[in-house]
Amino acid sequence: MSHLLLDDVSVEYPIFGAQALSLKNTLTAAATGGRICREAGVTVVRALRDISLELREGDRLGIMGHNGAGKSTLLRVIAGVYPPTRGRIERTGTISSLIDPMLGIEMDATGYENIRLRGLIAGMRLSAIKAITPQIAEFSGLGDYLSIPVRTYSTGMLMRLAFSIATAVHTDILIMDEWMSVGDADFRVQAEERLREVIDNTGILVLASHQTDLIERECNRGIDLSHGAVVQDRPIGPIEPMIRLVSAG
Amino acid sequence: MSTSNRQLHSAWGDWWTGTRNVELWWTLAWYDVVLRYRRSMLGPLWLTLSTGALLAGMGPLYAALFKIPIGTFFPHLTLGIIFWTFFTSTINDGCNVFINGAQYLKQPGFSPSVLVWRSLARNSLQLAHTIVLYLPVAIWAGIPPSPRMLLFLPGFVVVLVNLHAFTITLGILCARFRDIVQIVSSMLQLLMFLTPVFWFPSSLPGRSHAILYNPLAQLLDIVRLPLLGDAPAPGTIRFLMLFTVLNIAIAAAVYHVSRRHLVYWV
Repeated sequence: MSHLLLDDVSVEYPIFGAQALSLKNTLTAAATGGRICREAGVTVVRALRDISLELREGDRLGIMGHNGAGKSTLLRVIAGVYPPTRGRIERTGTISSLIDPMLGIEMDATGYENIRLRGLIAGMRLSAIKAITPQIAEFSGLGDYLSIPVRTYSTGMLMRLAFSIATAVHTDILIMDEWMSVGDADFRVQAEERLREVIDNTGILVLASHQTDLIERECNRGIDLSHGAVVQDRPIGPIEPMIRLVSAG
Repeated sequence: MSTSNRQLHSAWGDWWTGTRNVELWWTLAWYDVVLRYRRSMLGPLWLTLSTGALLAGMGPLYAALFKIPIGTFFPHLTLGIIFWTFFTSTINDGCNVFINGAQYLKQPGFSPSVLVWRSLARNSLQLAHTIVLYLPVAIWAGIPPSPRMLLFLPGFVVVLVNLHAFTITLGILCARFRDIVQIVSSMLQLLMFLTPVFWFPSSLPGRSHAILYNPLAQLLDIVRLPLLGDAPAPGTIRFLMLFTVLNIAIAAAVYHVSRRHLVYWV
C-alpha cells in the first residue's frame, strides 16, 4: 500500500557564498557589526512554495517546469531527503529513486562487489542482495566481466551494470528524474522492457521531465511548476489498458 | 528502497537507524580500506611498514636526546605514535565526513550516522594494521602479560565514543563553515607537541602539568597505559567521565539543531 501526502510544503534553503562559508569572515562580520565584511554572502532560495499534493496507489505523477522551477527539489522532498521548511509530508510504503544510479560505484571494485555496495546503499540487506545477484548478473549480460574491476569497463558496460542494479528491486514509490536510457542498441530494448516492468509494478510513480510527450505517455496526472509553485494541476488521459494487464499479471 | 521517513524520526531515531545498519557502514568501511590498497603490491601492509620505519628511526634518536633508557622509551613511543595517528586521522576524516558524503545524504533513507560509523570503522581497521607493531616491541622490551592489559578494552570503548561525538560535531560544523577543517588540522598539529606522544609526563616541570588536561592526552593515557601494564590514574578516569558526558551532550545538541539543515549545507 502506498500513499503520499504533501500538505502546504515550502522549502527555503540558504546558499552560502565563499564569505559565509568561512567561520573567520562570519565572526569578523558579527564582531564588527558588518563594517568589515559587509557582504554576508547568504542567499535564501525559496525553492518550493505551498505545495499540497496527495498521491494514492496507481497514481503516475508527471512534474514539468523550466530549469530551476523546483522539479528536483520537489523529488527530493518526496524522497524524504530534504525536510520541508514549513508544512508536512506523510509517506507510507517503500521508496526508491532512479536519480543517481552511479552513486557508490567504486572503480577499483569488481562488478560483483559493486552489486553488493550499490544494493546496500539502496537500503537492501546483504542476504537479499545475495539472492538477487544472479538475476542482476544475467540481466546485465556482462558475464565474466563481473569478476574484474569496473575501471576496465567501457562507459556502456558501466551504465549497464548501474542500470541492472538500480532496477533490480520493486518498491511502492518510484522517483525518476527524466527517463533513463542506456547504452547500445541491443541493450536499449532490453532496458526499456525492464523499466516498463519496474514502473508497472510500482504503486506510485513520480517522474520529472522537460518532455511533455513523455509525461503524457507515462502519467495520469501532471503538474506544472513555476518558481517553486504549482501553476497547473491536471489529469492526463486514461492509463493504457496494456499497463493494467501487466500489473495484474 | 526504504520505509523510513526521515521527517517522522526524532534526531535520536535518525541516528539509531544508521547505527543499526551495521552491514552498510561496515561494508563501506571495508571497501574503503581494501580498495585503497588493491592496486599496490604490498596492500594494507604499507601502513604497517611505514609506521614501523618511522618508529625504528625515531626510537633510538629520541631515547638518546631525552636520555631515557630505550627499553622504557620505545614501547611508550610506539603506542604514542600509533594511537596519536589513529586520533588525528579519525578527527581529520571526521571534519570531511558529511562534505565528502554529500551524494549519499541525498539518497532516500540514508542516515548521516552511517557516514560517521563508516569513518570510525575505516580508521579502526587501519589501527589494526599498525597496532600489531607493538607486539614485537613489547616482547623485546620484556613487558610481561598482565591482567591489567584487559583495561585496554573499556578504554578503547571510551575513545570510540568520544571520537564518534567529535566526528558528529566537527562534521556538521565543517559542513557549515568550511574553514574549520584547516583550523582543526593545525590545532591537532599544535596539540601533538602538548600531548605526551613522544615525551614522558613525568619529565614535565611542576606547574606545566596543566597541559596534560587536554582531552586527547587523557584519551591517549586510557588506552596506552593498560597496554604498558599500568592502570590509568583515577584522575584520568574522573576527567574522562566528565568530558565524555560533555562531549556527547555537545554532539547531541549540534545534531539536534542542525540535522534538518545538514543536507542543504553539503
